[in-house]
Amino acid sequence: MALLVDKHRPRSLDQLSYHKDLSERLRSLAQSGDFPHLLVYGPSGAGKKTRIVATLKELYGPGVEKIKIDSRVFQTTSNRKLEFNIVASVYHLEITPSDVGNYDRVVVQDLLKEVAQTQQVDQSAKQRFKVVVINEADHLTRDAQAALRRTMEKYSPNLRLILLANSTANIIAPIRSRTLLVRVAAPTEDEICDVLARSGKKEGWPLAKELNMRIAKESGRNLRRALLMYEAVHAQNEKVTDSTPIPPPDWEALISQIAKEIMEEHSPARILQVRAKLYDLLTHCIPPTTILKTLTFKLIPMIDDALKADVIKWAAFYEHRIRMGTKVIFHLEAFVAKFMRILEEYLMSMDF
Amino acid sequence: MPTDIRNFFGGKVSTPIREKETKKEDDPKKKRSKSRKIIDDSDDDEPAVKKSTPKKTAPKKPMKDSPKGEETTTADYFASSSKPKPPKSTPTKSKTQPAVELQNRSSTRKKPTTSYAEHPDNDDDAFLDDDEDAGDDIFAADFRTGGKRKEDGYIEINSDEETLPKPKKTTSKSKLASSKKNADVEMKDVYADQSFVADDDAMSLDNPVKGPSKTGKKRKSVDLDSDDEADDFKPPVKSAKQPPAKKARPPAKKENVPESTGIQAILDSIPTVRPPTPPPKDSDAKFDWRKAQGGGGNAGPPPSAGSKEIPVGEENCLAGLTFVFTGLLESISREEGQELVKRYGGKVTGAPSSKTSYVVLGSDAGPSKLRKISEMKIKTINEDGLFELIKRLPANGGDGKAAEKSMEKKKAEEEKIRKEAEEMEREERRKANEAEKAAKEAQRQAALKGHSAPAPTRQVPSTSQLWTTKYAPTMMNQICGNKGQVEKIQNWLKNWHKSRKYNFQKRGPDGSGGYRAIIIHGPPGIGKTTAAHLAAKLSGFDILESNASDTRSKKLVESGLNEVLDNNSLLGYFSGAGKAVDQSKKKIVLIMDEVDGMSAGDRGGVGALAKVCKKTDIPMILICNERRLPKMKPFDHVAFEIPFKRPTTEQVRSRIATICLREGLKLPVNVIDALIEGSNKDIRQIINMISTAKLDQDAMDYDQGKAMSKAWEKHVVLKPWDICQKLLGGGMFAPSSKSTLNDKIELYFNDHEMSYLMIQENYLKTKPILANGAGSAREQSLKALRLADQAAESISDGDLVDRMIHGSQQQWSLMPTHAVFSTVRPASFVSGQMVGGTSFTQWLGNNSKMGKLTRYVKEIQSHMRLRSSGDRHEIRQQYLPALWSQLIRRLEVEGKSCVEEVIDLMDSYFLTRDDFDYIMELGLGPQDQEGVNLETQTKASFTRAYNARSHPLPFMKASNVVAPAHVAKAVPDLEEAFEEEDEELVVSEPKEGDDDDVDLAKDKYIKQPKAKKAAAGKKAGPKKKASKGAEEDDDDDEDPEEDAKPKKGKAKAKGKGKK
Repeated sequence: MALLVDKHRPRSLDQLSYHKDLSERLRSLAQSGDFPHLLVYGPSGAGKKTRIVATLKELYGPGVEKIKIDSRVFQTTSNRKLEFNIVASVYHLEITPSDVGNYDRVVVQDLLKEVAQTQQVDQSAKQRFKVVVINEADHLTRDAQAALRRTMEKYSPNLRLILLANSTANIIAPIRSRTLLVRVAAPTEDEICDVLARSGKKEGWPLAKELNMRIAKESGRNLRRALLMYEAVHAQNEKVTDSTPIPPPDWEALISQIAKEIMEEHSPARILQVRAKLYDLLTHCIPPTTILKTLTFKLIPMIDDALKADVIKWAAFYEHRIRMGTKVIFHLEAFVAKFMRILEEYLMSMDF
Repeated sequence: MPTDIRNFFGGKVSTPIREKETKKEDDPKKKRSKSRKIIDDSDDDEPAVKKSTPKKTAPKKPMKDSPKGEETTTADYFASSSKPKPPKSTPTKSKTQPAVELQNRSSTRKKPTTSYAEHPDNDDDAFLDDDEDAGDDIFAADFRTGGKRKEDGYIEINSDEETLPKPKKTTSKSKLASSKKNADVEMKDVYADQSFVADDDAMSLDNPVKGPSKTGKKRKSVDLDSDDEADDFKPPVKSAKQPPAKKARPPAKKENVPESTGIQAILDSIPTVRPPTPPPKDSDAKFDWRKAQGGGGNAGPPPSAGSKEIPVGEENCLAGLTFVFTGLLESISREEGQELVKRYGGKVTGAPSSKTSYVVLGSDAGPSKLRKISEMKIKTINEDGLFELIKRLPANGGDGKAAEKSMEKKKAEEEKIRKEAEEMEREERRKANEAEKAAKEAQRQAALKGHSAPAPTRQVPSTSQLWTTKYAPTMMNQICGNKGQVEKIQNWLKNWHKSRKYNFQKRGPDGSGGYRAIIIHGPPGIGKTTAAHLAAKLSGFDILESNASDTRSKKLVESGLNEVLDNNSLLGYFSGAGKAVDQSKKKIVLIMDEVDGMSAGDRGGVGALAKVCKKTDIPMILICNERRLPKMKPFDHVAFEIPFKRPTTEQVRSRIATICLREGLKLPVNVIDALIEGSNKDIRQIINMISTAKLDQDAMDYDQGKAMSKAWEKHVVLKPWDICQKLLGGGMFAPSSKSTLNDKIELYFNDHEMSYLMIQENYLKTKPILANGAGSAREQSLKALRLADQAAESISDGDLVDRMIHGSQQQWSLMPTHAVFSTVRPASFVSGQMVGGTSFTQWLGNNSKMGKLTRYVKEIQSHMRLRSSGDRHEIRQQYLPALWSQLIRRLEVEGKSCVEEVIDLMDSYFLTRDDFDYIMELGLGPQDQEGVNLETQTKASFTRAYNARSHPLPFMKASNVVAPAHVAKAVPDLEEAFEEEDEELVVSEPKEGDDDDVDLAKDKYIKQPKAKKAAAGKKAGPKKKASKGAEEDDDDDEDPEEDAKPKKGKAKAKGKGKK
């Protein structure tokens, strides 16, 4: 038994319940025989990967579902050995170059070339090319992206790339121009509710419309998250009603706590306490931008309207800094200090 | 109290004196009976003694007992009697002896003092003296304690008048002397006198000081009644003093000429401040070490620093005055104030005593000091008063009594130094003569014997010698400081052969008899090598030295030393032409210098040396700087430890002064002191410094001296903590601070990798000075918040610079920019008082923890990858909370009953037992690991159940190939898993053999000589269905080799799984 989100994952384009037109387009692409390079982008939990897997199945048939994990070792120029996992079927490869951080260029160069230079041996295969799915393409370094661009053209008879990204912002223009951009939008709340209801029905859980709606809202239109929340609610409560509380994920609970602490007291000593919690979040692998974003949106409802624009401005400012700098805690802390200062100055001016 | 001091100088106010005189008459009695060990009987005739026989012992008592009264008389006396003193001031034994005899009813305690005091002075009979008195138990005891105390770093010695915590601040002699002067006249003359006698020996101060410290406490009872009268006449005095404060200034300035009344007028006109009443003593208040560590509550920078102009006064105008600083001054920091006083010849002590002329009072003064002030009734002024004093007192303290005293003392000191210099010269001449004579003799004898005379050895003219060589001590008494230690060395050497007879079983009184070797350790430049050489020479040993310039590897130490160890010196049998053979010279001592300099080239040298120390047949003296280094460990329990301490300023000063005189360099005392303190009492460095200075100048003033010692300052790399403390708490950013931007940047570069992290860690733990002065508490806190925000922003800016330095751009030239942004600028906002201690940066720890947990998440994600599509962040943020509640929470709540289901769920995601722990560790906030309370029973049954079952494995990780047991068992299961989920997934055939690279192949096959077995395994492998059976088979197959090489079994199993 797996979790709902994986157990009820659609396996073919037909089973996908929303973005029907997109599914249609993918299907016709797959059937056309001239499958382009794809750049699939959209927020997480929108169903990008699911769609791609379904498309691959459309391309190659069920053989593509027989996947395994390979481990490869690459050697960098500085003789460091990199271990790299590849999810592969006979017809396709799935890689996450950002796993190896700054060395992704090595992986892209070595692996892709190797794949691209070998032709499909299996005569019974539907397509002559192999597909390489690159996860987190927007985390590829510039170097790796540059290494991609020539490969994409040169070896197109043997290779198709599907890049998965959250946004196209980080992807260099030459790559964007070489790919067909496919945007997978996040499902609407109604669509999420629909999915939840279907899953619930499969599990035999009673339908709680209000609750589903709330989950959809809470999830931020992230279907994966919605399903996991849905399951969590059901797992933790014997009887689920419309008013059953939705437990937030651990890190979000902690961020709410931080927000509360920030609102309670504005002083350097409090910043120190908050710093400890921020460190906690960071060490437990919550990305700093997520922290900043979540924190900001937790703080916003608690402050006066006059301040909101300013706060958002500074949040954006420091999010940028997080990307530019190396020691993220400095910037998170600076944001907290800034927020406290703005708030305190505002409150003081109200008092006088 | 102010009245009293006033009386000292003017002696005009008659009524208080009279009162005091009467009071004093009974005071001493009370006190003495209570506190003194000194015998009472001198009490009655004390005044008489003072007037008629100005002997050492007599005045000492008054000094201790009654700081007041009798001023006028002593002053008169002093004027008359102390003038002739300097000529007499070469105190010889014969001179002091009568004094002691005359005073034979004074306590025995006294006697040691005097005799000891002179001991260092009379070089020739110093040792004799020692022996003479050895019979006297008390003396011996006293002597010993004196020696011990000295080892303790001397601070204790000054306990009463001077308790500055830092050793380097221990009073310099001249300050000491001058303090005595105006603190109370009586004590002064005698005391000063005495210190002339004992000039370079700080121990002489020992006894006198000890007394006061005791009486200081005992005095309380007396003061109770004296308080009343103090209260009585305080008001009038105050009113009398305050009005003339400002107006009296101009005339006072001109009135330099007249005698002490002019000074008195100035002194009188200085506005005093009434000290706040000390808070009641809280007996159970705990000592707050944290606070004390930060220099007490008032060590911070002054609140309105730089607001007042620091006056420029006449040279040496504070001569003879003693100051105590307490509390937070208004515009200058305490250090600056002390500097100021020292510059003008005044003396600064740490704690108020009867000798203190003024207490400079700031806000938030220490309660214990206040108590003392009120007890002793010391004049208190604020910093304005201090400025006023500096502005108005004439040069050299004018003709004020205090100044006169100090002048006289100075003269006496000079006299003494001159004598010493003369002595030195004499000695030199004598030596030269001797050498000449010897040479002549040799020549004559050679001529007599008919063969050509050996060419007379070239005499190195003393002018071309380094000063450090030229003035290296040639006698025991010339060694500055560490006298006790040097004597210990001598004793040990003297008794060495005796101890050897007892096979080093008799430890002797100081414990050194049990060792064949000693190890001297201490900072550089304080005469360790010199002392060792001198001690050996004086004890008649021939010296064999080895230092870092020789290779001292294990082999060389063993072979080289063994030859030496059982040999005698030839000097015991032969000697140069014309010299008598000195039998005693055949003893050898081996001096191993710079033992801690044994480095990589001297592999094993330390150990070998330590071994030699255990069985050596000649005494060995090892010398090193750092005894505590781990590499010096072998010398534990092997060598007797003799730690050398830095000498005190007093101990060094007269030696330096003598050298200066000899070389014709004019250095005032305060300049010498500045040099000594500036070089951190490194005698060698001071001598080198003055030798350099002599090249182009004949005199040096205070500022030059300071500048020079600063230029010569040894660069000490600060620890991150100190950097942080200096920047955030040190007042570096106070407006009055003289440190430049460059100085601050320099701090960052002391440890450029840590300093900014430390600043980031601690910048919120200060009370910024910039936040002071705002209106309400809330405004103030807003200001503090603003500053914190600015600092945080600057740190954030700094991080961007850091990225440019350490990122792909590698712009290392931006380091200073980074220093400013990340360290200096934030500190400039928030610097102030550190609250709580400086803590070490948490960033490093958290960063490595983050690395670890990220690895966990990656691991989990790579396991789940076949099932879930999310990336690392999705796994962490969405899956893990859900999994946590499904796995850990469930086990916690439902206990054993759900173990199977939990394992099922884990298997469906290919999670391992390790992953379970990882998930637990990755919990946060409400799911924090700490909060999880799994029953041990549940956990145990979970682990058992998990181990009992077989689990699908998604793939073979290259690095996991080597992991034992895990794979061997799991691989056969793969087949099962494979079959179950065949339609869906091709689970995890470890395909290394096919598409994996050479590495794995190596791992697997290279160490596999038995290809046969592997083949068998392969055949058998695929047919196995039940995992159990497979396992058993496996075991049967491979037991023998598995025992030998667990790796092989695994490798084979893999091979099986694959095909």
